[in-house]
Amino acid sequence: MASVLIIEDLKKTYPGTRRTPPVEAVKGISFTVEAGETFGLLGPNGAGKSTTLGCITSLVRPTSGTIVVDGVDARREPLRVKRLIAVVPQTRNLDRDLTVRELLVYHGRYFGLPAAEREARADRLLQEMQLADKAQAKPLTLSGGLQQRAMIARALMHDPRVLLLDEPTTGLDPQARRALWDTLRGLQQRGLTIILTTHYMEEADRLCGRLAIIDHGTILTIDSPAALKRSLPGGHILDVWVRSGTPVGPRLERLPGVLRLENVARTGEEDGLERLRLFVDPGDGLLDRVLRAVREGGGDLHHVSLTQPSLEDVYIHLTGKELRE
Amino acid sequence: MTAFFALLRRDLVVAGRNGLMLLMATLTQPVLVVLVFGNILPRLHLVADEFRTVMVPGLMSITMLMAGVQGVLMPLTIDLSGSREVDERLLAPISVLGVALEKVVAGAIHAAVAGLIALPAMMLLMHRVTGVSVRPAWGALLPLVAASGLLSAAFGLTLGTRVQPRYSGLLFAVVLGPLMLFGCAYYPWASLRVLGPLQYVFLLNPLVFMSEAMRFSVTPDVPHMPAPLLLGGLAAFSLVFLLSGARAFERRTVL
Repeated sequence: MASVLIIEDLKKTYPGTRRTPPVEAVKGISFTVEAGETFGLLGPNGAGKSTTLGCITSLVRPTSGTIVVDGVDARREPLRVKRLIAVVPQTRNLDRDLTVRELLVYHGRYFGLPAAEREARADRLLQEMQLADKAQAKPLTLSGGLQQRAMIARALMHDPRVLLLDEPTTGLDPQARRALWDTLRGLQQRGLTIILTTHYMEEADRLCGRLAIIDHGTILTIDSPAALKRSLPGGHILDVWVRSGTPVGPRLERLPGVLRLENVARTGEEDGLERLRLFVDPGDGLLDRVLRAVREGGGDLHHVSLTQPSLEDVYIHLTGKELRE
Repeated sequence: MTAFFALLRRDLVVAGRNGLMLLMATLTQPVLVVLVFGNILPRLHLVADEFRTVMVPGLMSITMLMAGVQGVLMPLTIDLSGSREVDERLLAPISVLGVALEKVVAGAIHAAVAGLIALPAMMLLMHRVTGVSVRPAWGALLPLVAASGLLSAAFGLTLGTRVQPRYSGLLFAVVLGPLMLFGCAYYPWASLRVLGPLQYVFLLNPLVFMSEAMRFSVTPDVPHMPAPLLLGGLAAFSLVFLLSGARAFERRTVL
C-alpha cells in the first residue's frame, strides 16, 4: 500500500507575545498513513492534535518538518494539497447565508466542478448523509449532529483523497455520536483514507485502524488499538481498593503474578480508601495472595476489580495520568 | 482563479438576497440629509443655497465609505472572532492573499453600487430645487466610483483585521465619525485655503480624496482638487490599506 500521508519531524512553535512565552505545540512528530486507513490522533486537549492537523491543511504554518500528501509537498504546494484533502473542523463553520444544498453546490464551485457534476454530487451526498429533507434549510437551524453531517457532506464534494476530522463528535449527544460513527464506517468501507483527532477513547477504539497517542506535542506510541492494549504488562488489570494504615503497595508489588504497580493519579484516596492498580498475569491463587498480603500488612481489602485493559488504561500507563477532558 | 470568482459570486448572490436591507442602509442617510439640508434648512435661511450642490458628492462618498467598510468589516469580524466560516474559503484552492482580495473586491462592488444608487436618489429629490448644479460626467464618474469603492473596502479590510472585535463599536464613533466630519464631504477641499497650512492636514484623511473625486465628476462647477492629486491620493491610500489589511489578514488566519 502507498502512503497517502507522510509526516517527518514536524515541529510547530507558536510565537509568544509581550506577555506570553512561545508555545511549543508540536515537538517533532513523525508518522505515515496508508491509503484506505483510518488513523487516529488520541490525546488530551492541548496535546498538539489540532496543530498537527492544521499543519497538514496549511492553516497552521509549521516551524520545521516535512508533510507530504499523496506525493505532494504540503509546504511547497499548498494549493495542490488543498485539492487532495478535505477538512471537517472542530468549529462548526457552515456558511450561514446559504441553504444546506447550496453549501454543497458552492463548495463544488470553489473547487471548479462542472455544473452538472456538482449538482448531481450534491444530491447524492444529501441522500447519503440523510440530509435530503433538510436541503433547503439554513444550517444554523439544524441540530449539532445534522450540522456535523452537513460538514462531512461538504467535505466530500470535491472527492478528496484524505478526509481530516478534528474532534468530530465533541459536543454531540450519544445518539448523534453513534450515528456519526456509522457514517464514518460507511466511508471507511468505501476505502476513503481518514485521519481524525479525538479525546474519546471509545471513538478511537471503534473507528481507528491505528492510533498515535500524543501528549505535550510528542507521540508516545503508534499501533492498532488491540496491539496497544496487549502491550500492557500481563495483559490484565487488577484494581485494588484497600483501607490500611501503612502503605501495602510494596508488598503487593513483590507478589508472583504482579508485573507492575501504579498508583493512579487523582484517585489515590477516597473515604480513606487507597486505590492501587496492578498489571497482572492472572494465574491460580492470585486473588488469594493479594488478600493475604493486604491482611499481613495490617490492611483491609475493600473491593477489587479485574478487567481487560482499555485504551484509557494504555493512556494512563503511558502518561501516568488520566485523560484530561 | 476559479475559486476567486466562485467566492465572489457567492458574496454577490448573498448580498443580492439581502438587497432590500442593503438598499435601506444605503439610502437612509443621504435621503434624510438631503431633506434636511437641501430643503428645510435653506427655506429657513440657515444654510446657503450653494450648500445643496456642495453636499451631493460628499454624501455619495460617505455612502460609499460606509458601504465599503461595513461590507468587509462586519463579516470579517464575525468570521475571525468565532464562526471561522473563513476557514472554508482558506481551504479552497486559492491563496490566503486571494481570499483577502476577494473580500475587498466584493466590498468594493457593494460600495460602488451604493454610491451609484445614492446619486440618482439625491438628484431625484432635488430635481425641482432651483440653483442646484449636479451634472455627472459619467465617463469620469464610473472609474472614480470604482476606485473609491476599492479604497473603502480596503479600509474595511484593514479595520476588520487590525481592530479587535470588542472595539468595533467604538470604531464608528471614534474613527469613522471624525473621518466623515473632516472628509470634505460638506465643503470643498479648495475652500479650506482659508485655514492656511492646516488645509494640507486634511490630506491625511482618505475620505477627502473620495469626496473630491466625486466633486470632480458630479459637480464640476464647484472648485475641486486637481485630478493628479486626487488620483494619487486614491491610489496611495488604496495601496496602503490593501497591503496592511492583507498582511494582518494572513496573520489572523494562518497561525
